[in-house]
Amino acid sequence: MSAAEPGLTVALVGNPNTGKSTLFNALTGLRQRVGNYPGVTVARKSGQCDCGDGTKVELIDLPGLYSLSAASPDEQVVIDALSGHLADDRRPDAVVVVIDATNLLRNLFLASQLSELNLPVVLVLNQADVAAEQGLKINTELLSRRLGGIPVVLTSAWKGEGISAVRRAIGEALRARVRMPAVEWPPLVEEALADVAAGVAADIGRAPGRADVERLLFDSTTSVGQRLGWAAPRRDVVIRAARDKVRRAGYNPLAAEPLIHYERLRKLLEGVVQGGGNRTGGSAAVDQVLLHRVLGPVVFAGIMLGMFAAVFWLAKFPMQWISGGVDALKLGVAPLLDGMPMLQSLVTDGMIGGVGAFLAFLPQILILFLFVSILEDSGYMARAAFIMDRLFSWCGLNGKSFVPLLSGFACAIPGILSTRTIEDPKARLATAFAVPFMSCSARFPVYALMCAAFIGPLYGPGWESVVMVGMHCVGLLFAVPTAFVLTRFVLKVKPQPFVLELPRYQMPKPRDVLWRMWQNAAEFVSRAGTVIFAITIIVWALSYFPRDPAVEQRIRATAVGVAPAVVDAQVQSAYVEQSWMGRFGKSVQPIFDPCGFDWKITVGVLASFPAREVIVSTLGVTYSVGEGAEADSKHLQQVMRDAKWTEGPRVGTPIFSLAAILALMVFFALCSQCGPTVATLAQETGGWKWAAISFVYMTALAWLMAVAVYQGVSRLA
Amino acid sequence: MNLETVLIGAIVGAAAGWLVRRWLAAARRRKAGGCAGDCGCAAKIQPKK
Repeated sequence: MSAAEPGLTVALVGNPNTGKSTLFNALTGLRQRVGNYPGVTVARKSGQCDCGDGTKVELIDLPGLYSLSAASPDEQVVIDALSGHLADDRRPDAVVVVIDATNLLRNLFLASQLSELNLPVVLVLNQADVAAEQGLKINTELLSRRLGGIPVVLTSAWKGEGISAVRRAIGEALRARVRMPAVEWPPLVEEALADVAAGVAADIGRAPGRADVERLLFDSTTSVGQRLGWAAPRRDVVIRAARDKVRRAGYNPLAAEPLIHYERLRKLLEGVVQGGGNRTGGSAAVDQVLLHRVLGPVVFAGIMLGMFAAVFWLAKFPMQWISGGVDALKLGVAPLLDGMPMLQSLVTDGMIGGVGAFLAFLPQILILFLFVSILEDSGYMARAAFIMDRLFSWCGLNGKSFVPLLSGFACAIPGILSTRTIEDPKARLATAFAVPFMSCSARFPVYALMCAAFIGPLYGPGWESVVMVGMHCVGLLFAVPTAFVLTRFVLKVKPQPFVLELPRYQMPKPRDVLWRMWQNAAEFVSRAGTVIFAITIIVWALSYFPRDPAVEQRIRATAVGVAPAVVDAQVQSAYVEQSWMGRFGKSVQPIFDPCGFDWKITVGVLASFPAREVIVSTLGVTYSVGEGAEADSKHLQQVMRDAKWTEGPRVGTPIFSLAAILALMVFFALCSQCGPTVATLAQETGGWKWAAISFVYMTALAWLMAVAVYQGVSRLA
Repeated sequence: MNLETVLIGAIVGAAAGWLVRRWLAAARRRKAGGCAGDCGCAAKIQPKK
């Protein structure tokens, strides 16, 4: 086969948690998030794979699934992709089936089903190192012979072992095009399948594929019938008659398929696997503590507390270095633009001040993702899912909701998209509605700014992590009752059992952990250099213009005997107050006054509706412009600590009181301040109705809770 | 109108234009069934009608 042969595609399929994504990374050189909880792969991922002989193929990583009976939209995508029923993809030229070498029987069920697709197959028995640890010996040659001669390869993807053999096997499969023999159905079942095929052909005028016929006979869903255009009632009559034949063969029609496949697989595996019996060992002992009804949640809370404490402690000095660098840059650039005060303010107060305030949180983001990656790759996150499932099942959410909700802690968008793994449409909607409550990483800089500026200095460094954990719980605290009301009274979701496969514990691979950190750092810096940078310029312009010279003249005329630096600060403050942003902020501020927000915070809150982290750069700009040159030598945190009310009943008191800080954080924890999230919710729920309900509900709730917190804490204080 | 005003106008205009273009592109992606977010993920697989 020549290297120039174009358009060859190979699909990578397998059960969740078989190391499929790790193998994909190893084969393509691309990196993809590697998690230990099921359903991590939702979107289409592809990359180029070199087969070792110069042949290059497009490798597609499909979502993990247990069988071809599509229950969720996610599983339907796999079946459509493998059958060539997707709009932009043709049928793959071969399939690589990734199997957990420690559990061949269960994993081979999917491979056995795939044999009906009549595609060349490569069988990859991954996690060979774990199988060896468990004393399992697998005769791959015998297995290959029994499967019609298809290539069978033993690998340990996370150790990088056997990857070249997989490449060669893909090349071989494409050359030899060896298929896995299909299952031999009992005569009556075979007859029933033939009846269904004949019924479809008679009604729609073309013969269906064998895999489609099996789905029609064995599945309770009607998606294949709908896709083929085979309509009821004729469809139901044919299928009912065919299922009667399956019953006469001694099988329940909806259970016949797995029973017959497993019967075949048991015979097929005789003599293939030897040894074993050392399956649980250390993992089970550790799980007795980590999954304990009482100890489990305690350990989980301890891990979260420790993680945030470490984030603050480790990031303290790098943050100071970045802030110091930003300040030095401002002071260094300002003299170069001395003749152009407007441009000087744009560059120092706007660009450097705004983006610098945001970038200062890079070390915290890096360290946070270091810990999250370690927890995920070690296998602990799946245990956390198990612990949290008790809470979710109480509020009526499907157990599968945990993965989207957990993803929501990083970003709500992939969280909402991953609700596609949930079969029940009502449970899917309820989960998608609850996901934006999870404290995403965009909220992190807001909490971090408040904790670093006020909580740490006022109450000691230990309290920073306590408040951080608390703020991450606030969203959960409101998501749970919201989901409860939605699932029980509005959508009336039927409870469904949750089966979670707990992966074995493993040492996180430094390369994958560092790659995740790098990806998140790159995304954070990229946002700072693009969206945040552009919004910062707009916020600066709105805070700077118009500039009426009469404002300055009036202040200087009345400021007799006042120090020049104080007069300068008064001038800058007056300018920003009469700017477009100042006028707008002051007109809207009465709405947020009960929350304890001054007009500058109000402006920050409103500017953050497209993306919530914008508040950090907005405060950076409004406080820099408002403070004038003096602010160039002070960190944003110091400027905020010094800010006081200049009018109204609170005149002279700090703007950022404990009550106002907590109210601001609670507002950001609950408010729907992310344009792309609202749009994604609309997309996934098939209209703007639920997106609009979510936006109004979350925003109103955020305001109410911010008012309650501010008023309550103010009175207590 | 001096050079400084022209520079400021150009910078602010470019920033506003870039943001609007970005939001319009996200809306187009969403309409086509893709992801509207900033995650940079590939367009989602759409089943054939």
